[in-house]
Amino acid sequence: MSEFQRQHPVAALSRAFGLIRGNLVTIIVFLVFGAQSDSFSFWWWTVGGFAFLLIAGLANWWRFLYKVEDGLIHIKSGIFVRKNLYLTNDRIQVIDITAGVIQRIFGLVRLDIQTAAASSRAAAIEAITREKAETINRLLRRGKAESSEEDEQGIGEKPESEIKKTISLPNKELLIAASTSGSFGIALSVIGTVFSQVEPILSESHFYEYLYDHLPSQSDTTFYIALVIGFIILAWLLSFFGTLFNYGNFTLDVKEKEIVISRGVFEKKRITVPFNRIQAIHISEGIIRQPLGYASIHLESAGYGDDKGTGSIQFFPLIHRKRILPLLNDVLPEYQKELNALKPPSRSLRRYIFRSTVLVALVTGAAWWWLSLNLAIWILPLLAIFWGWLKYNDTALGWGDDMIILRSRNLAKSTAYIKKKRVQDVSVSQSPFQSYRNLCTVQIYVASGDRGKSFSVRDLQLEDGLSIMQQIKIEGSNTTIGQELEPALDRPIVQLPGWA
Amino acid sequence: MNEPPFHKLTPRSIRVWQWSNSIRSLFLFIIPIVYAIVIGWDGFHRWIVISISILAFAYWLLSMFLMPYLSWKNWRYAIDENEIDLKHGVIFKTRTLIPLSRVQHVDTRQGPLLGYYELASVTISTAATTHVIPALDSVLADRVRHQISTYARLAEEDV
Repeated sequence: MSEFQRQHPVAALSRAFGLIRGNLVTIIVFLVFGAQSDSFSFWWWTVGGFAFLLIAGLANWWRFLYKVEDGLIHIKSGIFVRKNLYLTNDRIQVIDITAGVIQRIFGLVRLDIQTAAASSRAAAIEAITREKAETINRLLRRGKAESSEEDEQGIGEKPESEIKKTISLPNKELLIAASTSGSFGIALSVIGTVFSQVEPILSESHFYEYLYDHLPSQSDTTFYIALVIGFIILAWLLSFFGTLFNYGNFTLDVKEKEIVISRGVFEKKRITVPFNRIQAIHISEGIIRQPLGYASIHLESAGYGDDKGTGSIQFFPLIHRKRILPLLNDVLPEYQKELNALKPPSRSLRRYIFRSTVLVALVTGAAWWWLSLNLAIWILPLLAIFWGWLKYNDTALGWGDDMIILRSRNLAKSTAYIKKKRVQDVSVSQSPFQSYRNLCTVQIYVASGDRGKSFSVRDLQLEDGLSIMQQIKIEGSNTTIGQELEPALDRPIVQLPGWA
Repeated sequence: MNEPPFHKLTPRSIRVWQWSNSIRSLFLFIIPIVYAIVIGWDGFHRWIVISISILAFAYWLLSMFLMPYLSWKNWRYAIDENEIDLKHGVIFKTRTLIPLSRVQHVDTRQGPLLGYYELASVTISTAATTHVIPALDSVLADRVRHQISTYARLAEEDV
């Protein structure tokens, strides 16, 4: 292994397919546009494009060299600009061996090496045989074990830690997750884009007349309503199967020091999260899922979680409220907490309602006046008032010995659990109106990926914001928490989490 | 909440802000100019162009003569061995607390304008955010940077 080696040639193919999939929407739009114009030698462009991709993939494959020696992996890559990447095993967080669709066809695997830094996205060997992957894994792990012994840690890390527990997503939950998926809107917009391109072809091909004759409709209006409903069903189906394939085979393996989340039916995705990099967890209850009693759990991790470069990871796609606490108890016991939380004072209710209603009311008023719409349109501002009230009702801030909880709602209700010692910074801010009413906004940042993620609650009593600041201060100076920090209990208090 | 020993920025920062604000606000005059070029300069449109120009001019005056003074008046910072405390904002007031154990790195920066007045800004980065103390005397800025990095080394921890 101390010689430079190439990947399996399939890597060229896999990279080309990766490029195609990454630009799928662009390519579809391009193809549809191309098909419409006559002056455009469309087939040549398509064939040329694919040939170019394949050549680029081949060149990439040719220039990609790796070698492993002395607990160090050295990767050379880049067609014109040569990149040299050295990863030493004491910086390597995670080595993942996975297989995508193409890899599985050829009986190969993909090797991902993750460090905490941004370079980790480049450190992936797309296609090698399983034996080679295992050898690299062993070589790097062995070096790691030796060096940690030299550091007289004395723990004697096992090369492959045991899986302590495996949790999977029941089929019923998977179906509910798919049918209430939030990617519905995205699917609708994709269909909209494609349709706007295909529409001219359809209208030339008497497609509408065909539909018009065969749909049970009497007028134009019903025809268009049927069309819209058809679209919505199509979008829903798209998001349903998308989610189904994405989250099928979901399993959560709990190991000594890390959690391995794997999912996907056709393409398997695997994310490894070391426990000591988890910064915060947040539980989000979507507007459709909440009445059904379901929520999804995400976590923020320092170091890369997904391919987008953020540290937000879907920890559990769908879970019944009642099972959240047992699950946390099993996997992340330090987050399994019930805490008292303070609600914003009642004087901030009007601010919540005002914020959510004012724009809706103005737009509705304008639309009603100019377009002379039905009086029923005024249901929208009423809904907005209710929404504002919901937001007020769900906002809360609580803290315990080592934990801070922030709960807020935008559309989904989200509850964030942050360990005090993971807080990067906290800020309390006041607008002039807030300072007139002695209210404030609290914003807490945690590390996530290579940047931060913030959680905030609005219009809390100023003293509560300041005592959160005090709490962080105390955690920073490593002293014990005094009794005088207990909040004055003459105000509304809710028990969080509310599903316990 | 007991107040830490807050410091003010040097009054020279007002001069720097006056210069930088006046240059930045000049770009606002692009709006009426572009409007006049694209849409025209007659009748009704002339009045729109004039009123936008007046607004831009008023903003320019404010940003030059009032805002720098107010922001200087509202800026406070405090640094001790446990945390960095920042307080600023003229209309929207913000107070930020950064535990020193979270500080990843700290550096001082000096552009030509800050350099002319012998000032420097101190930039404090955590794993999530970046904060700036905008204008300190350059000698003081170096001392602050040194102090923060010393404290941050003492409080070595993981992310």
